[in-house]
Amino acid sequence: MICWSCQKQAGAAPLCAACGALQPPDDAADLFAVLGQPARFAVDMPAAEAAYKDLSRQVHPDRFATADPRARRASLARTVQLNLAWHTLRDPLRRAEYLLLRAGIDVGEKKPGDADGQRATNKVAAPPAFLIEILELNDELAAAKRAGDTVKVAFMAEEMRARARESMNEIGAALDAGAPGKLEEAARSLVALRYYQRFIDQASGGQGGDGAP
Amino acid sequence: MAEALFQIAEPGQSRSKHACRTRAVGIDLGTTNSLVAIVDAGKPVALADEHGETMVPSVVHYRGDGGVVVGADARDRLALDFPRDTIASVKRFMGRGPRDAEATRKLTPYQFFQGAGDQSVVRFAAGGRAVTPMEVSADILRVLRLRAEEALAGPLQGAVITVPAYFDDGQRQATRDAGRLAGLEVLRLLNEPTAAALAYGLDKQAEGTFAVFDLGGGTFDVSILKLEDGVFEVKSTGGDSALGGDDFDRTIAEALLARAGGADAGDARVIRHVLDAARALKEKLTIESAAAVDVELVPGKTTTLRLTRAEMEALVTPVLERCAGPLRRALADARVERGHLSGVILVGGATRMPLVRRFVEEWFGQKPLADIDPDQVVALGAAVQADMLAGGAGAGDVLLLDVVPLSLGLETMGGIAEKLIHRNTTVPCGAKQTFTTFADNQTGFDLHVVQGERELVAECRSLARFTLKGIPPMPAGMARLEVTFMVDADGILRVSAREETTGKEAAIEVKPSYGLTDDEVERMILDSIAHGDEDVKARLLAEQRVEADGIVAAARAAMRDAPELLEDGERDAIEEALTAVEAARAGSDHHAIRTAIETLDHASKAFATRRMNKALEQGFRGRNVDAVDAKLTERPGER
Repeated sequence: MICWSCQKQAGAAPLCAACGALQPPDDAADLFAVLGQPARFAVDMPAAEAAYKDLSRQVHPDRFATADPRARRASLARTVQLNLAWHTLRDPLRRAEYLLLRAGIDVGEKKPGDADGQRATNKVAAPPAFLIEILELNDELAAAKRAGDTVKVAFMAEEMRARARESMNEIGAALDAGAPGKLEEAARSLVALRYYQRFIDQASGGQGGDGAP
Repeated sequence: MAEALFQIAEPGQSRSKHACRTRAVGIDLGTTNSLVAIVDAGKPVALADEHGETMVPSVVHYRGDGGVVVGADARDRLALDFPRDTIASVKRFMGRGPRDAEATRKLTPYQFFQGAGDQSVVRFAAGGRAVTPMEVSADILRVLRLRAEEALAGPLQGAVITVPAYFDDGQRQATRDAGRLAGLEVLRLLNEPTAAALAYGLDKQAEGTFAVFDLGGGTFDVSILKLEDGVFEVKSTGGDSALGGDDFDRTIAEALLARAGGADAGDARVIRHVLDAARALKEKLTIESAAAVDVELVPGKTTTLRLTRAEMEALVTPVLERCAGPLRRALADARVERGHLSGVILVGGATRMPLVRRFVEEWFGQKPLADIDPDQVVALGAAVQADMLAGGAGAGDVLLLDVVPLSLGLETMGGIAEKLIHRNTTVPCGAKQTFTTFADNQTGFDLHVVQGERELVAECRSLARFTLKGIPPMPAGMARLEVTFMVDADGILRVSAREETTGKEAAIEVKPSYGLTDDEVERMILDSIAHGDEDVKARLLAEQRVEADGIVAAARAAMRDAPELLEDGERDAIEEALTAVEAARAGSDHHAIRTAIETLDHASKAFATRRMNKALEQGFRGRNVDAVDAKLTERPGER
């Protein structure tokens, strides 16, 4: 990369090795690499968080409020990427999805009108038997809710939470195992986990946050 | 001139002070009051006017002759006599359309301008013209800018303006545009609870997880923040951008009106009087348990309105309880238990009410913190942030991580809102989505951007409609349009798009659903600069003419009264100078009038001195000047 400010080799760091000007990010950069972490499910959280905050202090738009417009644009783009990296790594579900995506397996939810959703090739679907089980559980939950049986609703939610936790652990182990076929196994478990998550949201009132378990 | 002389006289003092001071200010643009603060010698301070008053009432009066009056004068005097031409609580209308304004109109004295077809922005009919909320806010900001420029003896580097955390994109844009219109370089829009936390955190060296409860004149905000090693991380935010002390006033006023009976609830003057009475009663009841105010609801007839604290609390409790929903959601989003907070910080004038404090204490199960003035804390925090942005002390040590208050999405088929950026995502942030064409050779694409948490587009806030143009003709489903959402550190969204297969940037046409287009704002700013210059010139000219008239009249009177004191040739010189002043006065150059006045001053100086001595001689009958001085300095009681 040639530095926009001094026209010399800028190097890989956020700041130009020659003149110290902030460089725009590499849009294709790996999100684990952005935070200096090895790409695996078992992330050293304190280290990742420390890296996030350290880098934020260096590149945040607050540091460039009165700087050259090119430095300001670089700061904005850098920080967007940094926030995305931390957002992805800190949450187990998003972290797992991203690890699979890196390996060419898209378990992202299909979005209406999304071109990727329509033409995705390597899509993972849940097995029919699993779907039937979930459907039956959903019906049971709806019936318990209609009957005002709060004890049963709470019990079903707790059972599903335990299942989700176990599933998350399995996914993590499968992702880091490095054995053939393990990634596909993790992908299938991840698709199942989404159904668990939706079930838990339903049971606990239907709202809930932005998807983190 | 005087400023320069002072600086020369005391170089050491002013230098050292200015050296550690940036020229950036923090502004709290409030619903009821606004303040400006700077960091001086490492400490944030709110700037006061010549009476020592830091708060400028956010009230603007538009005179029929084009004049504008801002602040206490507008609130205390003009709002009563000219309720329609005097705009208060304009913040509630920022970034809002006429239909939104209708909703808040139940008890408001304003008249809205019915423009031809334009439904995107509220316009008040005030002082014989149509003014947008952005322009009203700019008039308030201008007063604060002048105050700061005077205190800092020069132009500003920039300003941080605070907004409620729960302000949506349109409300933020309107605020930033108001700043630009007021001639400010807006360095950042800062969320009010975050500003308050910054002021507290730095002052008290606080660490832990805090809730900021901010109940102002017109908005309610709650933010949950984690403070650690100089990092202020907002975990979640919630609120209601149409809930505040104003709503208490309106509820009380409605009850008073019903009770008074016979008063015309459709009369703007009556509404203003009753709203003011409600506010006065509410303030009195902060300290007392019963209060009364006299109002003139029917001309010539005084009515005494009485209220006890218990009655008032019964009236406003249902309004206050609307805070509970946002509080619960903010805690849930932050994944924090009510009892696990290190502290609860109170912000906003309405938190002075004993009822509000009790509510907060009961809800959180702990005594809230209010040791920094809740009216000033936001402006002080904004000043700290402005100072850091401009490179002052603390830059690089402190890191503010704020969030998007409401999810951002696009309308998809069936009127469903597809969220691209979820609420409480740390800003700045971005998201991309790829779309394709539905028809062969389709060259355009419409996008509808919405903000809100609901599933259906109709229940979210419409932000803007974008039209992408210039897509190269290809078969249906072949084009790949990548749309990028980017939310900057001010919480403002930008949208861009490109066609991936050809790499062609799609042209975007933005039509904001509410508010003004960029072009309209740009034109207003250019107009204000052009007119601003004209306004200043007109004022200076008027001032010089008044001074010229005064000095000409005085000189003529003096020559008539004491012709014996004129020396040879002196009369001619003075007459000549007088003619020159009159000639200059007839022109329109204020510099020329000033020069002529100075020439006249010079020509008549000796004569004026002689006249003064004569007057003194007559007045004190022969005593010399020293004796007169001695007499004047004696104190009355000592004789």
